[in-house]
Amino acid sequence: MKHNLAIQAFLGLYILIFFLYLFGPLVIMSVTAFNSAEFPAITPWECFSFRWFNEGKIAYDGQRLAGLVTDRPLHEGIITSLIIAGGVVTLSVPIGMAAAIVLTQVHSRLRTIFYSMSIMPVLFPGVIIGISTVVLWDRIATLGGDGFISELGRNGIFLTILGQTCFISTYCFLIFVARLQRFDTTQEEAALDLGASQSQVFLKILIPYLMPAIGSSAVIAFLASFENYNTTVFSILSEQTLTTVIASKVRLGISPAISALALVIICLTLIGAFLYEISRRSNQRKKDRENKVKMFSEISENRLVEEQPRFFRIPKSIFVFLLVLILAVLTWQQLIKNNMYGSECIEKAEASKKSNFADQLKLLQQNAESVETTNESEGSAEGSKEYNDIFGDPNLFKDFGGFDTEKKEESENGATRSNEYNDIFGDPNLFKNFGGFDNKE
Amino acid sequence: MNSFYKKNGPVIATFFLVAIIFWLVFLIVIPQLYMLDLSFRPNLPPLLRGGPDDVYTLTHYQHFLYGSETSKDAYNYVDIGVFLDTIITAVLVTIINLCFCYPIAFYIAKLATPNTARLLVLALVIPFWINELLRSFAIRILFAGEGVINNILLELGLISTAVNFIALDIALYTGLTYAYILLMIFPLYNALETLDTNQLEAAKDLGSSTVRTHWRIVIPHAKAGIASGCTMVFMLTAGALATPVVLSSPNTYWFTQLIYQWFNMNDNWSRGSAYSIILLVVSVTFVLLMMRLFKVTIGEVVR
Repeated sequence: MKHNLAIQAFLGLYILIFFLYLFGPLVIMSVTAFNSAEFPAITPWECFSFRWFNEGKIAYDGQRLAGLVTDRPLHEGIITSLIIAGGVVTLSVPIGMAAAIVLTQVHSRLRTIFYSMSIMPVLFPGVIIGISTVVLWDRIATLGGDGFISELGRNGIFLTILGQTCFISTYCFLIFVARLQRFDTTQEEAALDLGASQSQVFLKILIPYLMPAIGSSAVIAFLASFENYNTTVFSILSEQTLTTVIASKVRLGISPAISALALVIICLTLIGAFLYEISRRSNQRKKDRENKVKMFSEISENRLVEEQPRFFRIPKSIFVFLLVLILAVLTWQQLIKNNMYGSECIEKAEASKKSNFADQLKLLQQNAESVETTNESEGSAEGSKEYNDIFGDPNLFKDFGGFDTEKKEESENGATRSNEYNDIFGDPNLFKNFGGFDNKE
Repeated sequence: MNSFYKKNGPVIATFFLVAIIFWLVFLIVIPQLYMLDLSFRPNLPPLLRGGPDDVYTLTHYQHFLYGSETSKDAYNYVDIGVFLDTIITAVLVTIINLCFCYPIAFYIAKLATPNTARLLVLALVIPFWINELLRSFAIRILFAGEGVINNILLELGLISTAVNFIALDIALYTGLTYAYILLMIFPLYNALETLDTNQLEAAKDLGSSTVRTHWRIVIPHAKAGIASGCTMVFMLTAGALATPVVLSSPNTYWFTQLIYQWFNMNDNWSRGSAYSIILLVVSVTFVLLMMRLFKVTIGEVVR
């Protein structure tokens, strides 16, 4: 018994770790979408903000980071992706259906060959499908001259639709095959015996029976097309889809705007899954109730009084929601208390970053100049000691030089600089040394 | 053919035929054959194609094996190295995924109550519908120089300076394992679900240990699922492009990235095709190997 308990605990822990591995990265990514810092991270938490969903920001060093709302290429990519997905769905669902129906009508050897060929595209790497489509259509476009065909062969959207249809049709095909396996062919025969034409059988019996498969294969085809990258990146040519836009963004440098985009997609997925689960459960309940009613009517005795199903039942999942809500409220309060939300916080963070940046710039300049001065002083090593002292003092040169070149820093560091300036002139040694210098000359 | 027309009626039979021929011939067979043909041709500008220089040649495959004519090495160590790296990593990722997923699939299929099982399956599907690029991006945030893992390790005092996980390729391997893990779980789950629980109980009653039960009963029953999952994970990992683009370090290449380079940056389409053919041959060999190893048909592999 004890042994069993240990196994149970171990299994529980394993499952926990597994789901942590599955969801942890996604959760962390989602959280980083709300951090106002330029780098998607959690631990140097700057401010809670929605800027990555809205306008993005212009960084202190002039780099422009677009948010979701202001990102033009992203919007165009989404529209292109939607067009492509629509095209793929309209092509691949009929193809998959036709192939699956024909599969039920061919036999033995031909069937094996046909089936193997149909599922082959799934076993091809996506890049290869993209490449083969492009090279073939480029050739066709070259042979086709200047007309319509050449336009078509060099149109990225058209090529992408063809390339994706190649393997997405197989997904649809497999869905239809699974559904057709449970199809009762006597229905067709009965209809034919009763004088229906073949097209009537197809439209009135087969299509209604396949409706669920048509729906699910359309959804699958749409999603598969929408998130495809491997094939698209080759066949899209000069256009941009959502995935290629994301890829180029990621390659250029990682920005929290991508986290924000991911969060939006995650939320849409969650809502979809939630709706699916609800509809499935209500269907199940309806079916259960029907069965029950049937059973009672069959029993036909009133000895068993039908118990009324309770009209409203609190689902268990509501507790999870409450927990999440409470956690969210608590976190929110903490954020407000620590002044980590709102424009004030962002301004503060921005200001500190700016001064940091300015300090760094100053330091860099200082270093560069001190190198220069040491070089100079080395060059005149034979000079008098006092002479060396003046040139050896980095502050002097930095500040004199600083007035000419450093425009950016003037505003922030003006005050401190003029202090130093005063100090230098107020330094009795300076005038003494200058005097000495003149005298020597 | 006549009986086909008779059975479906002329309109629908024509629709079937057009759809299937369009798919099988124009989308599947001809592009692949043309790519194969192109891979044996020299890289010519469009105007010279079909001219006297357009002859069959093995130059691209030779380049893969021996490198360019100007190089001093006996073999093309860079490309072959990338290729072997890709294949070996893909095999390792497949094995890790299999070991990692088997307990979970078994739990969901056999041990969990139906309601829990359904919820778990739903939970598994959700990350699958999030773009591969974005999932890799999530991994990248975790492993970045100032990322979560580095900060935790620094906080705990386990390391003194940030580890560059991306340069060490740890991020890439984690990302690849993460990307296709669900394609291992679902075939396994489907196969294990059909296993009769009575068999497990019988084995237990007859005194078989847990390990022995799994080895003798569960795994043989699930072999189609194992073959299918392994094939899918291997193919997708070896042919992955999105994850390496996001996660690979600047000096590591994935074989698909090499193809991409020949294709888009060096504009050498025929060499890109040749390299694609090499990848395709490896993939097909792997499928055949799995079919032979697990004695399953191709229909059982793809489900």
